[in-house]
Amino acid sequence: MDGFVLQFVEGLKTTVLLALISGALGMVVGLLAAAAKLSRFAPLRVVVGAYTTIVRGVPELLIILLIYFGGTVAISSFFGRYVEINAFSAGVLALTIVFGAYTAEIFRGAVLSISRGQIEAARSLGLHPWQTWLLIILPLMMRIALPALGNQWFSLIKETSLISIVGLTDIMRVAAVGAGSMRAPLTFYLAASALYLFLTSLALVVFNLLERHFAVRGH
Amino acid sequence: MRAAMASSLPESQIAPAAGGVQARGIEKRLGNIEVLRGVNLDVAAGEILAILGSSGSGKSTFLRCVNLLTLPDQGDIWVHGEHLRLRPVSEDDSAPRILDHDQVRRVRASIGMVFQSFNLWPHMTALENVSAGPVLVNRLTRKAAAELGRRYLAKVGLSDKAGSYPRHLSGGQQQRVAIARALAMEPKLLLFDEPTSALDPELVGEVLRVMTALAGEGRTMMIVTHEVAFAREVSSRAAFMHQGRIEEEGSSREFFSNPASPGLRRFLAAHDERHS
Amino acid sequence: MDVELLLTSTMTLASGIPLTLILALASLVIGLVLSVPLAFLRASGNRWVSLPVLAYTYVFRGTPLLVQLFIIYYGLGQIDFIRSSVLWHVLRDPFWCSLLAFSLNSAAYTTEVFRGGILAVPPGMIDAAQAIGMTPLQQKRKIILPIAFRGILPSYVNEVIALLKASSLASTVTLLEITGLSRKLVSETFAPYEIFIAAGILYLGLTSVFTSGFRMLETRWLNAPPKQAAPDGIAVKRVAHGS
Repeated sequence: MDGFVLQFVEGLKTTVLLALISGALGMVVGLLAAAAKLSRFAPLRVVVGAYTTIVRGVPELLIILLIYFGGTVAISSFFGRYVEINAFSAGVLALTIVFGAYTAEIFRGAVLSISRGQIEAARSLGLHPWQTWLLIILPLMMRIALPALGNQWFSLIKETSLISIVGLTDIMRVAAVGAGSMRAPLTFYLAASALYLFLTSLALVVFNLLERHFAVRGH
Repeated sequence: MRAAMASSLPESQIAPAAGGVQARGIEKRLGNIEVLRGVNLDVAAGEILAILGSSGSGKSTFLRCVNLLTLPDQGDIWVHGEHLRLRPVSEDDSAPRILDHDQVRRVRASIGMVFQSFNLWPHMTALENVSAGPVLVNRLTRKAAAELGRRYLAKVGLSDKAGSYPRHLSGGQQQRVAIARALAMEPKLLLFDEPTSALDPELVGEVLRVMTALAGEGRTMMIVTHEVAFAREVSSRAAFMHQGRIEEEGSSREFFSNPASPGLRRFLAAHDERHS
Repeated sequence: MDVELLLTSTMTLASGIPLTLILALASLVIGLVLSVPLAFLRASGNRWVSLPVLAYTYVFRGTPLLVQLFIIYYGLGQIDFIRSSVLWHVLRDPFWCSLLAFSLNSAAYTTEVFRGGILAVPPGMIDAAQAIGMTPLQQKRKIILPIAFRGILPSYVNEVIALLKASSLASTVTLLEITGLSRKLVSETFAPYEIFIAAGILYLGLTSVFTSGFRMLETRWLNAPPKQAAPDGIAVKRVAHGS
């Protein structure tokens, strides 16, 4: 087990990095998708609506498999020889797509719950529409969305474990390798659970602090 | 200490045959507020007692003590001559406890209660609301309970609403179903906790009419209400509560036409002003 | 994209639907049955009663389902006394292991959802039940539970959908439900687009059937006029440590 402590540390780093990158990118996608859903341009609304509906109605594992194996096929045909897509990039792409679909709904709901009065107050100050968005709507929306967003991050941390299925050496993969080579699956998977529980608890604490810090009065 | 509590009043002073309700030295503290500060009140069988008082005077809390929805911290209650077995708060236990749950359930089943907010069960039809108690508590067959339920729905004038869910009934109709629900247990005592306070003004009348009809049947009733005119009309005795105590009580005639305490006089005067 | 392959693989993968449904629905039912008593314990004011249940729900909601599945399927065999017991016949079988993992996981989520529902039952409803002389068990069975369940129905749909999707993890312990079959098919044909998309179509069909089914149930049970359809048919992902 001793040799595996270092590997677990590496796996932990990979898991955290994967979650942070796909979470950050996913929030950008979610913001854009939410804006698209709120736009007056109907075709855009339909396309983005299809994206969020499909992604949320299909298992995350399937999306990961599609991107990993589909990506491999695409790259291989591009280079004219078998090239395997990097598991980390496939994971980032898949989780970004998933996270974007869920956060789009959260952001959209948050924007819709901002009162018209607050927006009109901003306009009446003579702010440009883009200034209104940047200075008023965005910060307000973030505060309203915070609890639901916290839940999403919480799920994301757990979902990173699925990338181990396509070979990424994250916490889960380290545990699987150790379980096989040391013939002690229980020990290794329990160790993995402890690490995940640590990460999700950390996320819980961070978001509770954020919520307390940005508490929206009157909401 | 506990024994002293329970025997603060010798049982011989209460005639069990008298029936009705006797309450002695009822105290209740909710949080930091002393809601009841030693309430003594009797209701004889067949009597209709109206309890008046401004909001916060403790009258609803007192009514809830009678069927132990709220447990008094101190004091004794007799219902139909039976002493309710409670353990008052003490130094080693900050909450009062029920000592005999079977007794409490038996006593509760013999007391019908009508609430301010109706409290009909939303997942049951009007008829199911009325017949649930007879089936579950009085162990009637479903058929007999349904029959009973229909009879009491008819009594409150809602035969045609048997299959309706509460959300499809008006407030007045809901409260009448709630009255039928209480009646279907064929109780010896009816408690009304501000039964018209949550109703739109135009719906108050239908509920008061049902209650007036019940009063004419010789039932024992305790009514907490803000409807002074109604209380005056139906009650045989009345009590005025102020800051957790009974400030005045007496026969209705004396109580309403010749109030002794300044508090009650102010209360009645304020009421007359509002309604003239 | 080969449309013909897409269609034929949809047909082939459809044979995995029964296993997907059995896994999801059976663990949903088991999770529900377990969650009812647990939720009452969890909603109890007594810390000694509610904390052990919180520990269970916290651990099962705070760790990936994949780890839970692997602990049960691969891990339990490490314990000699389980290996030598009758239980081993069940615990070496991937189907029963998946069912156990999904059920325990679902019970943890449902317990928390139910707890919220129980705490949201208006106190007046319980007052009325007590006033009529119901026993505590009757109050729970006839009043609190039905009212709580109707209250949580909208969020329970999320649990159903989540479990339907989570059942795809059974493919990692060799079960051939929709995802398992598609992985097998891809390894044989190496046509990942058509096959995984076909699988996606099947899941999307299942999730929409369940979503609209629950909408109907909601309308009937809650006895309310049909709600304005939400802009998106599928409900949001199940809530993690929300409360």
